Amino acid sequence: MSETPDRVPEEPRGTSGATSGPAPDTEPAISLRGLTKTFGDFTAVDGIDLDVPRGQIFGFLGPNGSGKTTTIRMLTGTLRPKAGQARVLGVDVVRHPDRVKRRIGYMSQKFALFEDMTVEENLRFYAGVYDLDPQVFAAQREYVLRMADLVGREDELTRNLSVGWRQRLALGAATIHEPELLFLDEPTSGVDPVARRQFWDLLYDLASRGVTLFVTTHYMDEAAHCNRLAFIYRGRIIADGSPAEIRADHMEQRIFDITTRYADAVLPQLENDPEIEEAYLSGASLHAVVSASSTLTDASLRQRLVAAGCPDTVVAEVDPSIEDVFVNLVARQR
Amino acid sequence: MSARRIRLLIWKEFTQLRRDPLLIRLLLVMPVLQLILFGYVVAVDIRNLATAVVDLDQTSTSRKLEAAFSGSGYFTITQTPATEDDLRPLLDRGTVKVALVIPEGTQDRLDRGETAPIGIIVDGSDSQISAVGSGYASQIIAQFNADRMTEQGVSVTAPGIDAQVRVMFNPTLDPVNTMIPGLIAAIMMISLMAIMSQAVVKERESGTLEQMFVTPIHATEYLIGKLTPYAALATAQMLLVAAGGLFWFRVPFNGNFWVVLVGLALFMLTCIGLGLLVSLVSRTRHQAQQAVMFIMIPTMVLSGFIFPIQSMPAIIQPLTNLIPLTWALEVLRGAFVKGSGFEALAVPMIVLAGFAVVIFGASIVATRRRIAE
Repeated sequence: MSETPDRVPEEPRGTSGATSGPAPDTEPAISLRGLTKTFGDFTAVDGIDLDVPRGQIFGFLGPNGSGKTTTIRMLTGTLRPKAGQARVLGVDVVRHPDRVKRRIGYMSQKFALFEDMTVEENLRFYAGVYDLDPQVFAAQREYVLRMADLVGREDELTRNLSVGWRQRLALGAATIHEPELLFLDEPTSGVDPVARRQFWDLLYDLASRGVTLFVTTHYMDEAAHCNRLAFIYRGRIIADGSPAEIRADHMEQRIFDITTRYADAVLPQLENDPEIEEAYLSGASLHAVVSASSTLTDASLRQRLVAAGCPDTVVAEVDPSIEDVFVNLVARQR
Repeated sequence: MSARRIRLLIWKEFTQLRRDPLLIRLLLVMPVLQLILFGYVVAVDIRNLATAVVDLDQTSTSRKLEAAFSGSGYFTITQTPATEDDLRPLLDRGTVKVALVIPEGTQDRLDRGETAPIGIIVDGSDSQISAVGSGYASQIIAQFNADRMTEQGVSVTAPGIDAQVRVMFNPTLDPVNTMIPGLIAAIMMISLMAIMSQAVVKERESGTLEQMFVTPIHATEYLIGKLTPYAALATAQMLLVAAGGLFWFRVPFNGNFWVVLVGLALFMLTCIGLGLLVSLVSRTRHQAQQAVMFIMIPTMVLSGFIFPIQSMPAIIQPLTNLIPLTWALEVLRGAFVKGSGFEALAVPMIVLAGFAVVIFGASIVATRRRIAE
């Protein structure tokens, strides 16, 4: 990866007392203090504090409507916060959005390509927007076409590409200017599992080259791919840390995984059981949460369910997944 | 502001337009189709009105008068009933729209130096035909009188056939002459409002608008890049209509080119503003279409583009002042037909400028704020 020409002067940081010059890369990629945004009476983002270290894949998780997109829009300088501080790559993005825009990339779930333009034209447009010089563009174009597996299809209209290719091309367009920080807002929604897997490989590749990735998703399995996570719920951050830390700090309960043909009957059974704190669907099976002090075991829980008229039920105690942690965190908030 | 980025945005817009062959065809066909509709369909009815002549005089004067009518091109004598009683059924059935009755002794009266009354009967069931038909008839008679007097060397004050109506400015009363200047403004309004608002809403729907504002593109650059291509397209369409009007329909242009240019420029800003406002209130292209209809229908009906304002009920007439197209028509028709200059058109010009400032200004401020949101 060639060096991004950094024409944007770093903001002088008077308080640090350091000698002037470019801000050290030691400052977090993103640093938020008390960031708040309201729409009328509705508080979309409620005073969040967050630090995202450089060079990591940071997962920003939360259900729909919890404030993920609003946060991203404030971080990309397209939405003004009501209160609080937001520093992106060492720059106060509220006061100087233009100093940041050249150094960040953004890709949304809509894969905002111009559908009535060709692959080549889309790339040329975004390269032009960032004023890439022709040699840099030639190299980047080459790289993106190979990465998106679109060599030889440069003159196809993007509307004719299938979703996996569109997604990779959108990623290429969003990174054509080699941003230091890339925001991805639910980049994999509506994409099949194979394409999702391939897409995450590309994200790892970017991260390995030093790009910081800020990814929102509501696919909990994707959370495990991240170096660090933050959970946002109703505009507040309810947990953050590495996946292991989050599991350790927020999940003292035990989890049973229940595979059954009678999920419709078993789920109410579990919900009514006083020993079980929480029961929910998880993928193809059911998860039941019990307190750490519970005496329930695989066998005793299975016994109960069989006795209740659900034979062929398999019960196994499992390590909590990120999804389990999240469901429990949300349940506790209610 | 970067001129390079604006050029890039304009290139992008034209590239996208090129990929929509249906839209381009519509943009070219629409003005041509409207030229044909408003130029021919509206014009044909008023020419060659089927006319009956009841000549009870049967003299050289009465025949000369008939010849003046049939030679004018507005009246075609299709029936020559022997008596007035035979006229009624012809008018009732609509076989003729106009009837000319020359009473016995018309030539004698004129020779004696008396006023000679003649009858012109017009089918009033079509108000346009009756108004225009009687106008033409009065004109022909006035001409007839004038010719007769010069022939005889009589002074103008001598009595003749009584005629009082004068049609000024558009002596042939050809509706094309007022229709085409109006069409120029109407086409611009449709193009800028309907097509530009679609383009902006489409960009929001597809998420590319959101994407672009994460890049260094500024709101002002985006707006200029968006407006320029559509303003250019609308200008091309107007030139097409103007050329068709001037060279094919031979609409006379008596006015000042700059009056037309300034009037259209002011109206263009208003149209751009309306288009942007439509795109601001619409989430989907479908909604934008509905919003455009909501503006276009009262505009077409109340501006005087099709129906004369004078023929509207008195309560409605003040409302026409709120329609920007009303004032654009006044400027364009004034300049084309009457050859009016800036001084004569000061009021409509100032009103157009007011609309431009308020509507265009508000739309730019609102769009910038919305984009910044």
